[in-house]
Amino acid sequence: MKNLFKTRYFVLIFLLILSIFEANKISAKDKLIISAIPDQNPEHLNRMYKILASELADQLKVSVQYKPLTNYPAAVTAFRTKSLDLVWFGGLTGTQARLQSPGSKVIAQRDIDEQFHSVFIANKKSNLPIINDPNDLKILKGRRFTYGSESSTSGRLMPQYYLQKAGVENHHFKRGNAGFSGSHDSTIALVQSGSYEAGALNEQVWKQRLSEGKVNPKNVIVIWRTPSYVDYHWLSQPNLDERFGKGFTAKLKDVLLSFNKSNPRQKEILELFGAESFIPAYDYQYLDIEQIGRKIGKIR
Amino acid sequence: MILNKPVLCILPILAIVPIASNVFYDIHPGGINLLYNFFSSALNPSFESDVLYAVFNGLQDTISIALIGWSVSLFFGISLALITSDIFYILFKVPYSIKKFLKILLSIPRGIHELVWGLLLLQILGLTSWVAILALAIPYSCLNARVFSDQINALDKASLDSLIQIGSGPIQVIITGLWPKIFPVLVSYGGYRLECAIRGATLLGVFGLGGIGTELQLSTQSLQFREVWTSIWVLVISIFCLEKIIERIKDINKIQKNIKHFSVIGLIIISILLVISVIRLGGLNINTSININSITLPSVKSLLIAINNIDLVKLISQTLFISLLATGIAVGIPPIMSMLFPTSIGQDVIAKIYMICRTLPSPLIALLLLLFIYPSLSVASLAIGIQNMGVLGRILKENIDRNDKFIAIAFEKSGASKSSSWLYGKFCQQSNSYLAYSLYRFDIILKETAAIGVVGGAGLGWKLQESLSSFAWEEVLIIVATFISLTMIGESLSGSLEASLNNKKMQSFNPTPNVSN
Amino acid sequence: MTTLLDLRSVSLSSGSNHRLKDITLSIQQGEKVALLGQSGSGKTTLIKVANGTLKPTIGKVLWKGIELNKLKRRQKSEIGTLWQDLKLIKELTVCQNVNAGALGRKNALWALRNIFGLIDNENCRKCLQVACLEEILMNKSISSLSGGQQQRVAIARLVHQQPKIILADEPLSSLDPQIANDILNLLLTKRKNSFYTSPNTCVVSLHRPDLLEGFTRVIGLKSGEIFFDIPIGNLNKTNINKLYL
Repeated sequence: MKNLFKTRYFVLIFLLILSIFEANKISAKDKLIISAIPDQNPEHLNRMYKILASELADQLKVSVQYKPLTNYPAAVTAFRTKSLDLVWFGGLTGTQARLQSPGSKVIAQRDIDEQFHSVFIANKKSNLPIINDPNDLKILKGRRFTYGSESSTSGRLMPQYYLQKAGVENHHFKRGNAGFSGSHDSTIALVQSGSYEAGALNEQVWKQRLSEGKVNPKNVIVIWRTPSYVDYHWLSQPNLDERFGKGFTAKLKDVLLSFNKSNPRQKEILELFGAESFIPAYDYQYLDIEQIGRKIGKIR
Repeated sequence: MILNKPVLCILPILAIVPIASNVFYDIHPGGINLLYNFFSSALNPSFESDVLYAVFNGLQDTISIALIGWSVSLFFGISLALITSDIFYILFKVPYSIKKFLKILLSIPRGIHELVWGLLLLQILGLTSWVAILALAIPYSCLNARVFSDQINALDKASLDSLIQIGSGPIQVIITGLWPKIFPVLVSYGGYRLECAIRGATLLGVFGLGGIGTELQLSTQSLQFREVWTSIWVLVISIFCLEKIIERIKDINKIQKNIKHFSVIGLIIISILLVISVIRLGGLNINTSININSITLPSVKSLLIAINNIDLVKLISQTLFISLLATGIAVGIPPIMSMLFPTSIGQDVIAKIYMICRTLPSPLIALLLLLFIYPSLSVASLAIGIQNMGVLGRILKENIDRNDKFIAIAFEKSGASKSSSWLYGKFCQQSNSYLAYSLYRFDIILKETAAIGVVGGAGLGWKLQESLSSFAWEEVLIIVATFISLTMIGESLSGSLEASLNNKKMQSFNPTPNVSN
Repeated sequence: MTTLLDLRSVSLSSGSNHRLKDITLSIQQGEKVALLGQSGSGKTTLIKVANGTLKPTIGKVLWKGIELNKLKRRQKSEIGTLWQDLKLIKELTVCQNVNAGALGRKNALWALRNIFGLIDNENCRKCLQVACLEEILMNKSISSLSGGQQQRVAIARLVHQQPKIILADEPLSSLDPQIANDILNLLLTKRKNSFYTSPNTCVVSLHRPDLLEGFTRVIGLKSGEIFFDIPIGNLNKTNINKLYL
């Protein structure tokens, strides 16, 4: 019996620990749930979207909640199942989501998204030369090569598209397939360590890491920069007007487009996004991405 | 050479040969720096309040998910066990053929790893806490049902018959005759399942379904090793505490006098925890819109096209290759390690290492290995192997601790070295149940390859993720079906292999060492 | 004469229960000691203390003048024990069990090789010969043997150990009389072949006071104490009756 009482204490302590952190979990009536594909480190995203959420809440007079995600397809699914209202998608995931949720609207993109680039990076020890002619991507045949996440536009779709154009299929890489590191940062780490001789990723992330000193330019170099394409954008659910009042979507768009660097909070947001401003974006801009997605098999 | 059971337990270590020879050529110095960073961060985890908050928050989510999933699976496990056990058909006079049908039906959800369930349910239910909970509850219910019904069938029928003869109603027979005998199994096996549920919930988190796994994955992907270790330590410590609590409860159970008392207390505690968990997850919205309509179900034609497009033979052989080597590592290393370090300090250190190994989700181990080894199937096997080694090592140690230690002492006192005494005096006695458990583990590993395919883009696991991220339902369907058939074949193979080892009629082996002893 | 085993005022108690009380005795080379006493008198405990598997609460046990826990492995293997429950390993074959006797001289790698059946079985054959077992049984599993055969396997293992003293705990208890005689013969008579010279020293615990032929000394144990310790010639009915009273 004595033992039994001891266990009860154990359980009580257990309960206590569980409940200590129990806090502010009020399920509000109707919140605008915003989210983003997890293309950066979570701290960065957390900071970025928390500020954005409060800015949007202040301006739109609705409560806004940021829901972090860890997985690209999960973002698409969550959008399709209407668990998310406004999502910062990549070109491919946004297109996938839009095709799966008819009526959803492309709201805006960053100034840099109109002309976005991927970079191909290589470990110096691989002796891969700088590539000038896209056809020269052929030299990657038989090398160890990695993409980022399977659904990344800049880390997979566009690089694979240009590789295919140069006649390089995934099975041409060493060991019969390309790797999928899961994220831009992992791609940098794996190429820098030498596990992969080369890889492709988002140019913006690359530049950021370079300036933060997280990449050693003695080990990794850029061997090719893709031509420009459209990438990230905000996608919103079709039912926002019904839920938050007439004209809400338009208002939301206006608020995003009005961000400028003279307002301190907006300045911080824009800097975290790595942009000067948000600009309008339209469905039709993503027709190319859709076509390429179909060609590669990521859109069915 | 003789193929006796101890040898069969040790022989799998030969899997090291291909892996080592592969990895040896594939190891490169480029990642040493990162690896050093990783291990030095172990002693220097991040204590920033943001990180701690996120980690604890994640831990609570994971535990809540695990707890709810686990309770549900226990409930359904017991219910399904009853209706698939022989006694049920005697008591209620139901035709026996239904049982066979049910058993086959139950083996299908069991053949799918909780991760695959998670990824599939995510597509149907969207991002709700239900996804992770159901992903755990569905396969675990079926697994529990199998284990419990085996237990019920193994019970002495005579005592039940006498109850029936007195004229007790079926419900009474179940409560007075079955429950006291099932309850101890429920406690020990149920406890073990709860740990599995926490590991499962963590893995689901790695794939984006929330909780501490998500934190772990995010900080690993962005190479924030100090944060990674915060998560790892928190996980290790909580699993350690859980193991201790379960040990305690098992001890109490030995008193066994007061089954009613314990049943009630157990039920109360579980309900309290459940309520807290449900609150914790922000209330489970039962009305979650099920958007199954948004998935266009594949037509037969598209299925046929997809079968043609998928190189199933290659994917299956890659998957089998990974699972076989991984099983080899997981099964073969623990005995050898114990032999090499037979002292009690050595054993303690190894036990701690195992603990960390089984706490780390395998995709994470894979990513770490990839930092300094070129990608290959061997890396994938190594990652799953290391994780499962943590599980098998513990089971081996637990079983050995429970057994007679005297033979080993006798050997030692007659001059045998500690290692030899361990091998002859402890391990040999245990080899039979270890082997049985290893065969069962192979099935689990086969399923777990779903989590690891990303390494070098190989196997069914990789293809599944690729298809899911392309929303190619026909391919997903084919791959899941392949997984199910593979595990079913694996189960029946290892079942008959075990039967032939024991030279007796096929007896469903017991996944719990506690129960088999 | 050299003193092999030396117990100096050894007591062993578990809780308030005294299993051995102040036992002092020494065994000289060449002695063949029969240990008599009712069940529960402490015979098994005495043997376990003598071979080191139980540690006395008070007192010392010396082997050739060295305390048991300070012995080197090789020296430990000089004390051979024939256990009542034999302690054979059911998962292994006869040959592997017999080879396990040599573990005191061998390293862990050899132990592993034996498990894999990769050890030359010539020595094993000789040991089986000494223990009067047919070679044919060599690759049989333990559980397929009869009780008497298992006893012989345990003896063959002991033979492989090449001890200087044999401590046998009730080796005859579960055997029929004819086989019991054979086994006792094996333990007491001098045996020699190219591989093995049997030690001429042994301590055998017996539950019955017959079958004492061949022993040189008899020790009677009662409630954990030495009741008598006399040469075999001095043993008479009265001693025995008092012991079993």
